[in-house]
Amino acid sequence: MASFAISASSQRACSSNHVTKKQPSQTRTGRSLGTKQVSNVVALNVDGQKSLDIVEQQDKSSKSSSRTSKPNVAENDDLDTQSSHPKFNDARWKNGTWDLNMFVKDGKMDWDAVIVAEARRRKFLEMYPDSATNEEPVVFRSSIIPWWAWLLHSYLPQAELLNGRAAMVGFFMGYIVDALTGLDVVGQTGNFICKAGVFVTVAGIILFRKNEDFQNLKNLADEATLYDKQWQASWQDQKPSGPGKKI
Amino acid sequence: MASMALKSFTGLRQSPQEQQHPHFIAQALPRQQKFRVSAAKTSPKLTNRNLRVAVIGGGPAGGAAAETLAKNGVETFLIERKLDNCKPCGGAIPLCMVGEFDLPLDIIDRKVTKMKMISPSNVAVDIGQTLKPHEYIGMVRREVLDAYLRERAEKNGASVINGLFMKMDLPRNFEQPYVLYYTEYDGTKGGVGEKRTLEVDAVIGADGANSRVAKSINAGDYDYAIAFQERVKIPDEKMVYYENLAEMYVGDDVSPDFYGWVFPKCDHVAVGTGTVTHKGDIKKFQLATRNRAKDKILGGKIIRVEAHPIPEHPRPRRLSGRVALVGDAAGYVTKCSGEGIYFAAKSGRMCAEAIIEGSENGTRMIDEGDLRKYLEKWDKTYWPTYKVLDVLQKVFYRSNPAREAFVEMCADEYVQKMTFDSYLYKRVVPGNPLEDLKLAVNTIGSLVRANALRREMDKLTI
Repeated sequence: MASFAISASSQRACSSNHVTKKQPSQTRTGRSLGTKQVSNVVALNVDGQKSLDIVEQQDKSSKSSSRTSKPNVAENDDLDTQSSHPKFNDARWKNGTWDLNMFVKDGKMDWDAVIVAEARRRKFLEMYPDSATNEEPVVFRSSIIPWWAWLLHSYLPQAELLNGRAAMVGFFMGYIVDALTGLDVVGQTGNFICKAGVFVTVAGIILFRKNEDFQNLKNLADEATLYDKQWQASWQDQKPSGPGKKI
Repeated sequence: MASMALKSFTGLRQSPQEQQHPHFIAQALPRQQKFRVSAAKTSPKLTNRNLRVAVIGGGPAGGAAAETLAKNGVETFLIERKLDNCKPCGGAIPLCMVGEFDLPLDIIDRKVTKMKMISPSNVAVDIGQTLKPHEYIGMVRREVLDAYLRERAEKNGASVINGLFMKMDLPRNFEQPYVLYYTEYDGTKGGVGEKRTLEVDAVIGADGANSRVAKSINAGDYDYAIAFQERVKIPDEKMVYYENLAEMYVGDDVSPDFYGWVFPKCDHVAVGTGTVTHKGDIKKFQLATRNRAKDKILGGKIIRVEAHPIPEHPRPRRLSGRVALVGDAAGYVTKCSGEGIYFAAKSGRMCAEAIIEGSENGTRMIDEGDLRKYLEKWDKTYWPTYKVLDVLQKVFYRSNPAREAFVEMCADEYVQKMTFDSYLYKRVVPGNPLEDLKLAVNTIGSLVRANALRREMDKLTI
């Protein structure tokens, strides 16, 4: 059974604590191997066949050196500090929150800069996850940024873009329909078919802004009902079977 | 499974059990056999003996089931393969379990009254201020809890057998018993064990995620998550921080669809994580979890590494004939929190109660209809809980922005009160409608803010 195998292997794993250390040391040697190979490739381009042997030898030597270096790294006891990645710091990030006084521009609060700064911090942490310490807990809450700042920053530019596009499309559609049917703009707004066409277009754009949206909505519908189906599977047998199924 | 048209759940309650006499078609049996199912009231009274029921698996589900059965006059056999099994488990039990199952307070190693939720960007939120002084989440050692329930079952008259269930012969007609084949161990370490058989009238499969009983009745498979956990002994001064506090870490680095945790146990902490979709990367997620908790578990020594599958949803078939599945074998683990101990014990008890009722305290033979009553009662009582947790998981464990919103929401006192009420007492309490509306607005606000930040993040490059 899977659980027996896992517990058996984990018994072996727990006896040798440097199992967990292998991965970082491997990546480190992997990275060094990578750089060596890059330099070798460059050498290959410059020289000819002769350098191929040198390349192979260098690869072998780097591999053997990585193997000898692994036990040295693995001797470190488990759970010791190994901060090989950069930590986030920013002059405006103090004591686990953004110092809002430092975002004042021309005497007014610059919320756009706060939004961008927080986005940068989150992106940094996503790429280099850091430990959550008790000494410097993060107490920043994004709710401190007022709602209109979000609108001004992200919603309004997008709305402006969409409105601009809609206006251009509308103007040209009006021109084309006039050329085809003779209805001018005043006549088009009175016509039921034209109005229905506008309604369908607007609804379609809201729902299916991109091509993927159609598949996304379908996936969402499936996902919402899958759990229900899994629970009701036990009640499948209860349906009375037809006369043909009597055995 | 998905191709068949399913009845909506509300329709299920309208179909009365007693009037239908479905012809049960067991695909496992050869064609000549016919299984006649009828209401228990017309079942023959058992002469000279009581109903015999075997409970396979001696965890919380098996122990609770065996105790209820034995207490009410049924001849019970509890078959457990490893009596000192130290199960890999979070070990958290809700407050209601202590009351409902009369657990002595010395079983509980720690009473967790505070929890910390930590978002992908390390925003830390403390929850638990709304707990009353007598409320807590109990942390237990599984070997202690399981042993206590089994001993109580034995005291009530169940026979506890140390054996490994191998397979089972399904009966050819209604009067025939189920024949179980198991290997009995006599208690000596490394003993090979003797093959034995046992004839019983009904079987409760409580043998966990890799249930053999489920295989014998072709119950079908489920999706499962892998939970990986390391027990770490940390220095005493660091242990003080975890005195009654548990931590939950969310983030793509820690798990793509679950969470990483640090739970305090009797004298050490358990650091672990789990995943459904990226099982191959579990070691990477475990490293990330340890990295996030690095400062708080610095200098600790790993004393044990363990892993276990956790079912994500019930098996397609939870009973067949007079065999019913309970607990992990049936797949009764909630989403979002991955809680299984309480539901295992409760389902074991509910199934046993259905057997007692159907057999009138062990005097009559039961049939599948009686066991279906247990399924019906279970689904009706706990379906809202499972569905709500499923929705929470789908909404809030989707992506990093959703997790940030989740942690932000947890800072709200109303949310904390509702969460703890529903977790500790296992009832979905309708809250104040005005507060619910405020909560809905706040949730949407959090999600919108987090997604707006995500769009900003996409524009940046570091």
